[in-house]
Amino acid sequence: MAHLNLSGLKKSYDGKQVVHGIDMEILEGEFIVIVGPSGCGKSTLLRMIAGLEDISGGELLIDGQCMNDVEPSQRGCAMVFQNYALYPHMTVRQNIGYPLKVARIPKADIQRRVEAVAATLALTDYLDRRPAQLSGGQRQRVAMGRAIVREPGVFLFDEPLSNLDAKLRVDMRIEIRRLHRRLKATSIFVTHDQVEAMTLADRLIVMNGGRIAQIGTPAEVYARPASTFVASFMGAPAMNLFEAATLNERCVKLKNCEDWVTEAGFRLPPAGHGVTVGIRPEDVAISLNGKGLAARIELIEELGGSRVAYCSRGALACAAMLPRDIDFSEDQTVFLNFPASAIHLFDQEGARFQEDKSNNDGNSAQADKSFYTGVKDALAVMTGTE
Amino acid sequence: MTAAFSSPSQSARRMRHSRRSIAPWLYIAPAALTFLVWIYWPLFDALWLSFHQWNMLPRAPVKFVGWSNYANIFALPKFWQALRNTGIYVIGLLPLAVIVPLAVAIYTNDLSGRFRNVYRAIIFVPMIIAPVVAASVWRWVLDPDYGVLNGLLKSAGIAPIQFLTDPDIAIWAIVFITGWKLIGFSTLILSAANANINPALVEAARMDGASRWEIIRDIRLPLLSSTILFLVMITTLLGAQWSFSYIVVLTQGGPLGSTTNIFHILWDFGFSSMSVGWSSAAAIILFLGFGVLAFSLMRLADRYSFHDN
Ligand SMILES: Nc1ncnc2c1ncn2[C@@H]1O[C@H](COP(=O)(O)OP(=O)(O)OP(=O)(O)O)[C@@H](O)[C@H]1O
Ligand SMILES: [Mg+2]
Repeated sequence: MAHLNLSGLKKSYDGKQVVHGIDMEILEGEFIVIVGPSGCGKSTLLRMIAGLEDISGGELLIDGQCMNDVEPSQRGCAMVFQNYALYPHMTVRQNIGYPLKVARIPKADIQRRVEAVAATLALTDYLDRRPAQLSGGQRQRVAMGRAIVREPGVFLFDEPLSNLDAKLRVDMRIEIRRLHRRLKATSIFVTHDQVEAMTLADRLIVMNGGRIAQIGTPAEVYARPASTFVASFMGAPAMNLFEAATLNERCVKLKNCEDWVTEAGFRLPPAGHGVTVGIRPEDVAISLNGKGLAARIELIEELGGSRVAYCSRGALACAAMLPRDIDFSEDQTVFLNFPASAIHLFDQEGARFQEDKSNNDGNSAQADKSFYTGVKDALAVMTGTE
Repeated sequence: MTAAFSSPSQSARRMRHSRRSIAPWLYIAPAALTFLVWIYWPLFDALWLSFHQWNMLPRAPVKFVGWSNYANIFALPKFWQALRNTGIYVIGLLPLAVIVPLAVAIYTNDLSGRFRNVYRAIIFVPMIIAPVVAASVWRWVLDPDYGVLNGLLKSAGIAPIQFLTDPDIAIWAIVFITGWKLIGFSTLILSAANANINPALVEAARMDGASRWEIIRDIRLPLLSSTILFLVMITTLLGAQWSFSYIVVLTQGGPLGSTTNIFHILWDFGFSSMSVGWSSAAAIILFLGFGVLAFSLMRLADRYSFHDN
């Protein structure tokens, strides 16, 4: 177990900076997942922590000690690689035992520890096989075994599950989680699969373009995305984002949809400012009863457990989860309602507006009221008549 | 009725079938013919000639002599000397053709761009010089009176060395020149194989705590083993052949037959003494000997080849 401190960690290749100053603290025993789109610098960050890439700037502390120039093997980290990096000429036993062998641990101890690890990973029957004679999932477990056997302070995983098929991925995900609960080693797990990220993480780090876009528990990141990037990256289908403009400090109006005004519990800039309104598809209330934003269902996607409707109204497109109990069909006209409590608001740079707590509390009674009100109502709110 | 109907369709099918069974043979015919004309025919001709006595003159009689060519060769001290020298060539070449290039390939793997180009130029230049040109240059360099090397030795106060005329030294001079010519080729092959090793394996070993030397011993060498065996194999099989041009240009097998080897003696029998039966017999002995060697080396190579992911 170890805790890590990254301060201003930077990486440049030939003068081109790809990681722009990462600050964060990772607590003992925490399971951190770094998630982000391809090329955002996840692997680079992980490899800097591992010691496989030089650190161009900033400082890396493990258990309070500066590790910037320490050899990888001396940092107390073990790594599981995406393609497993098993030694093809060694048996499973030799692969798992290799870190112990180079550490000059007596043969009998190596034997005992390798067998113990193999038992926890259900590899006992395969100890004398070569990696080429194993299935993908078994190779993955050998790679895990090689990392575990050293009992390292920090586990680093670089997309270890991305070469597995869907079912194995889920199994291994659960296995990794179970293993972490037992070993309690600090773990940093890189992935670009958001389901993996959400399910595994104690805390999630969303990266974009070499910067941290948000740090938080999966629930926090999902419930309160810090930017439009995080909002659209986390969650499938992605959050609906609409261009809008403020009408006054309390109201925004969607673009491409002139006759609807929305009231948000946020402290907004004065009228005329561009903002982005977000709502998750599962929060969109969809009905046939004639109240709300009229739209046409263009396409229904069957996901087994749920169905997603892609609706449109002119240039405005919106995805919505369909309730199971009502039959919808494509080309049907439906009515969309956005509950006020489920609305996310972002400024022009894409950063989230802070909720106006006092206002929110005052309006809590209204929270389950439909977010949309007609133009007349909105005008009434604005002018204070009614 | 049925017969009348079925027979045309059957014969058509048979025709199509026979055409299809000819096609593969047509595809391999050019290669097979080349093999036949350039490899199998000479081989069987040599086998046939090795049991006959003939001086290569078209009018001269070809006389069947049974095993006597073989018996005579085995009785010839010169043959045993050539065989022994062949062994010396092979064993002397192995360090230059395998070990030195291996070290160079591994230690230059991490060089940065510019240095790598410089080292490549240095290593690869000998490879692209024609053997006869190289041999002539080395004759100047090694000349006992005017050569650069002896000039240097002289200025250092050491007596000049008869590189090509001292029977104890000449063979090593030729081994060295052959090896010098080979280093570039072997380094090229080994560098390519080394660069082909999945870098993640080396990184994994670094994470596991392996030192530089342990990474070489436990990861690189085992993964290079099939390439190393390949180089050992071709050096063993062809090393003596590669030295042929240097022997011809620099020593003609002398002094006192100390630099001759099995290929040179073969050529000597055939074209200097015109005894085609003898040289054919020697060629067959060579063929069988190297065949056995090649087979066992290949078995070894199979055993030690690993597939990297
Ligand atoms: N050796 C290198 N030289 C130059 N640029 C590099 C090098 N390695 C990575 N980069 C650049 O650094 C950036 C981050 O790469 P990195 O591998 O960390 O991405 P990633 O987030 O892991 O992506 P993925 O999800 O596809 O694995 C990329 O833009 C990449 O082009
Ligand atoms: Mg990556």
